[in-house]
Amino acid sequence: MKTELNFTDHDAFYERLIAAHHGLDEAQSAQLNARLLLLLANQVGDGAVLAECVDAARRLFGPYSPPEA
Amino acid sequence: MSDTALQPGGYILPEYEFTAPGDLTADEVRRYPVVIVGAGLSGLALACDLAERGVATVVLDDDNTIGVRGASSRGIVYAQKTLEMMDRLGIYERIRAKGVVWSVGKTLAGSEVVYEFDASSTSDSRQPPFINLQQFYLEWFMVDRVIEIGRTDLRWKSKVVGFETLADGARIEVETPAGRYVLEADWVCDCSGVNSFIRDCLRLDTHQARGIDRWCISDVRFKEPLPIERWTWVEAPFNDNRAVWQHLMADDVWRLDFQMGPETDIEHVSRPEVAAERVRRQLGEDVEFELVWVGPYSYRAQLIDNFRAGRTLFLGDSAHAMSPFGARGGNSGIQDADNLGWKLALVLSGRAPEALLDSYSAERRPAAQFNIMTTRRTARFLQPESPAEKLLRDAAISLAKEHPFARSLCNTGRLSNSYIYGQPPTSRAQRHKVRGVAVGEAVQNVPVGLPDGQAGTLVDLFRNGPAFVGIWSGALPALAAAVIRLANREAPVLRMLELGRAALGLSVLEDPAGKLGAALGAARGKPIFWLLRPDMHLAARIENPDAAKVSRALRGALHGRLQPERA
Repeated sequence: MKTELNFTDHDAFYERLIAAHHGLDEAQSAQLNARLLLLLANQVGDGAVLAECVDAARRLFGPYSPPEA
Repeated sequence: MSDTALQPGGYILPEYEFTAPGDLTADEVRRYPVVIVGAGLSGLALACDLAERGVATVVLDDDNTIGVRGASSRGIVYAQKTLEMMDRLGIYERIRAKGVVWSVGKTLAGSEVVYEFDASSTSDSRQPPFINLQQFYLEWFMVDRVIEIGRTDLRWKSKVVGFETLADGARIEVETPAGRYVLEADWVCDCSGVNSFIRDCLRLDTHQARGIDRWCISDVRFKEPLPIERWTWVEAPFNDNRAVWQHLMADDVWRLDFQMGPETDIEHVSRPEVAAERVRRQLGEDVEFELVWVGPYSYRAQLIDNFRAGRTLFLGDSAHAMSPFGARGGNSGIQDADNLGWKLALVLSGRAPEALLDSYSAERRPAAQFNIMTTRRTARFLQPESPAEKLLRDAAISLAKEHPFARSLCNTGRLSNSYIYGQPPTSRAQRHKVRGVAVGEAVQNVPVGLPDGQAGTLVDLFRNGPAFVGIWSGALPALAAAVIRLANREAPVLRMLELGRAALGLSVLEDPAGKLGAALGAARGKPIFWLLRPDMHLAARIENPDAAKVSRALRGALHGRLQPERA
């Protein structure tokens, strides 16, 4: 998992992400995020990297038990 | 015996007579080499396999018919590896004639197809990827076959009510309409299903996890022509946006499975009038139909720690149970029998050590674990357990309508392939890099020219007897004398052939279509030897082989070892 900056233009990405949520209600925003998540995950592809990202995102909320492989 | 099981209003199953065995009146307890408990898919497959190999067995079943009395189609999809075994056992033609061949599957959400596959494109086997058939038909054919072979003592209405482990076997108490008796067995094969009495006598932990999934299964006959394809709805508008399965079986009966809510009163929704209303919503008001059978089904997962406990071996649901998505339920029980039959036959004949039987659990338990993991993922996709899970599923379905990658995420069952023994499932994803089958993987039933000049398929080399098949390719004639000596010495367990060209003086296996060479990963001019086990899984692949290397690989295989993949 990359933890150093990897965007070609991070400010532009963030601005565009916010713009995409414009005019959506809470449920629609959640749906947009979920769609975006799956699209991005497919760009990453690598299972080990994705697992690290999932774990890193979860860290804020304490441990969880990953499914048995 | 009639070959039509379908009558209006339900299935009529054959009934088999109870015959009082001599054990009831014998002065002494009789002892048998192999006793199989349970005449379901795995028990009958094992009895049939052992009979083909010349091994007599006693089969105890508490009922006097196949299927479950009054019950439905149950297991309906038989996968290629299962069908190949049935070819070896001599009942494939009946399955093919009675069943429904299909290869196209579609996943729908609402009225849209979000995912579609055609499994026929990847297959060179004589058998199609799948045939649908009501489970009792397959059991029926196997009963007929073991009767025909004549080595199996089928004891109906014989319920196991007592079980005691002995140092060299077990003592079993059997209850029959004519009273109780005790018999002893050198080996017990418990195929008695998910509520196994023997397993519970031995206090083996099943690590049970009960699913929240509830289904209502409906066998329905109607005239409306529908495509002979597997259709699965993730969200069916006619079933309150829950999942629905639609599959054709024998006798023009459709199998419609309706997913129910976790809180559903399953008995209520299985009432004929309630079920009929659901079917009407699916088919439309003007389609006439007839309910053949309706019943509830709830899923669970369980797995014992070792499929062998001394002289007792566990097969099928008594060893492992899972949600039956993707042809992984009955098929896995049958494939347990495919794995165990030849091993038990070799041990009984003294040609292999008992240790070979440990490889049964070592190979089949990971296969069961893999099935449990795979079906758990399907179940979870079909039954989101939280709003967050539902959100992710909605995202996957909506993306699937636009982008190919997301179609694969819509999981309505991952159809089973035969398991690759000895490898962690993670390495299976990288398998396409290796040329030909991997060690531990099954070779498909490809067309070959048999040594007698007849056109046949690979299975034909494995009929009768517990023999391995060794195939030489590109061998140097200088090895001939040593190879022929080896062939003569190992004849009872190993049959050796040459691929395409005679250099050693062995019988020649022709490969006119090049399918076998492609399946094995043969390379022109490169000397290679393949050792195929009696279940058609590859035991060893030896480059630059000689008689000593082949002999070592065979010894290893007789101890249940697979030769590690070449560097």
